[in-house]
Amino acid sequence: MVELQGITVIYNKGMSNEQKALSEVFLFVHDGEFVTIIGPNGAGKSTLLKVILGEVNPLRGKYLIDGRMMNGKPPHYLARFIGRVYQDPNTGIFPSLSIKENLLIASRKGIRSVGFSRLKKRGLDLLKGLGLGLEKRLDVLAGELSGGQKQSLAMIMAVFSGPSLLLLDEHTAALDPRSAKNVMDLTKRINAEQGITVIMITHNMEFAGMYGTRLVEFHEGSLIKSDNRKTHSTKDSKGLRISLSSN
Amino acid sequence: MLAIVEQGLILCLLAIGVYIAFRVVHLPDLTVDGSFALGAAIAVRSIVSGATPVLAISLAAAGGAAAGFITSIIHRKLKVNVLLAGILVMTMVYSVNLRIMGGPNLPVPRVFGQQEVVSYERMSGGTMLDDLFADQGLIEEETPPPIRERTVVAFFTNRLDGSDLAKISIVVISAVIILGAFLKTDLGTSLRAFGCNPSGVTAFGMSQTFLAIIGLLTANLMVGLSGGLFALYSGFADVSLGQGMVVTGLASVILGEIIFGKVKFLYGLLAPVAGGVLYQALLSTAMRYGYRIGFLASDMKLLTALFVISVIGVRQLASSPRKQRFKAEVKKLWLNSRGSQ
Ligand SMILES: Nc1ncnc2c1ncn2[C@@H]1O[C@H](COP(=O)(O)OP(=O)(O)O)[C@@H](O)[C@H]1O
Ligand SMILES: [Mg+2]
Repeated sequence: MVELQGITVIYNKGMSNEQKALSEVFLFVHDGEFVTIIGPNGAGKSTLLKVILGEVNPLRGKYLIDGRMMNGKPPHYLARFIGRVYQDPNTGIFPSLSIKENLLIASRKGIRSVGFSRLKKRGLDLLKGLGLGLEKRLDVLAGELSGGQKQSLAMIMAVFSGPSLLLLDEHTAALDPRSAKNVMDLTKRINAEQGITVIMITHNMEFAGMYGTRLVEFHEGSLIKSDNRKTHSTKDSKGLRISLSSN
Repeated sequence: MLAIVEQGLILCLLAIGVYIAFRVVHLPDLTVDGSFALGAAIAVRSIVSGATPVLAISLAAAGGAAAGFITSIIHRKLKVNVLLAGILVMTMVYSVNLRIMGGPNLPVPRVFGQQEVVSYERMSGGTMLDDLFADQGLIEEETPPPIRERTVVAFFTNRLDGSDLAKISIVVISAVIILGAFLKTDLGTSLRAFGCNPSGVTAFGMSQTFLAIIGLLTANLMVGLSGGLFALYSGFADVSLGQGMVVTGLASVILGEIIFGKVKFLYGLLAPVAGGVLYQALLSTAMRYGYRIGFLASDMKLLTALFVISVIGVRQLASSPRKQRFKAEVKKLWLNSRGSQ
């Protein structure tokens, strides 16, 4: 469970360009939830994710995962429990590495030894599960894939090592409608089948209406609405199921 | 000719170092100028103090690695731009080198194994170096008995009989193989990942600082090694030896990429090797015949830098979307000019 208690973030505190990004935000996200966050530009949505990732330290407020204090923990430490995918398809992958090497990097979190690790079966299974045929192109450089393929690869890389939380910041915004839909369905499957908690920011109101177990709205740094909703997720996800789990 | 290849191969190691910094971890590291001279200073000082050549060269590499380590710490921990961090370390190293050498330069004492000297001198009737060392009062060291206890063996014979080439080749080939294998390991893959998407590695639980340290340390280790070998080969270390070495290394890397650009074998490590030798060949050709069109040896740094700038410029033009626009403009102008005629 992720707990944010009274998080306040002010950028450039005490300077002329001081900017309040979040004020007194309380948000509790339970295991397995799929939280969709909406709100206008500058509402503080991305800042919220940065707090969770440890990239921004809140001025006030507590941040806990499973009851443990996470304030002040370095981003590369938090990354062990948290996967993330952003808008730009080149940020979630390593363009000049092959698909296989990308998965190798994603397979184990933390600094590696100088050993030579082999791609685990789970990596291939995840890749096959995308249904894009990438498992046959393991030696192709990730930078040569299309935007939608890159983003799909980024998604499975983000969840490869089994994080408990997946953060998505407008991760379909740079894609064509078809790829966007595919990536959204993949997101849903990851949440439903792997039980990974998802927090997703989107500007796409259609997606916001369709996906997620809870809709949260931000405005000018404040959380103004948080609605649980009954989802049609279970049934849909079964219909769409392409196995993402390893066996 | 052989001397060019030998020198070129020594400078390959410099090019490999520059390649690791600029191409693998994508950090434009200017420490290189300092760590090359540092390697040279340490190697010669070690020989003078009686170390074996292998130890001297290892210490030179370690010195370079230390300089790279300090740069990466300044860059990452103090959040100083990597260019400035490199310049700071390069500047510090200049003073350190003067201390190591006890002056602006230091020659390698040439003391061969006893029989070797005899046969060589019988053969050639004395060496040119004898005059040189006689001037500096170093020649006596060769004859009196105590010296045999403090056996200083020259690593390079400078005889162009292939023995130097063999030694240099062994060092370069092992370096390329070891580095190629290293870049394939998990850590090496992470370094390459860091180079193409630095913030991305954080997402996979790796510290950017750690990877930057490993990258610059490895790069400058190669540069220090190159500087050490270079000094032993040319018989002296000089405080200004490192000047412009980043640009020399970069020119070699770029030359190599022009030839081997598409070859991904050993993670592109062949590019700096080929480029390093080719660069030396071009340089010596230019020095030899360039005077006919008015070039001086002292113009070479200018030419090298211009070469780097022009290749980068051409690449920029070729890759930017402006190229298309530029082409379209030219075409339009051309059509217009024809139309108006
Ligand atoms: N690094 C930063 N430095 C200064 N101000 C920032 C920074 N990042 C975001 N802001 C400001 O904080 C506010 C919230 O930004 P952000 O969290 O990116 O909003 P959203 O993602 O909802 O569009 C905006 O006013 C933005 O200008
Ligand atoms: Mg945003």
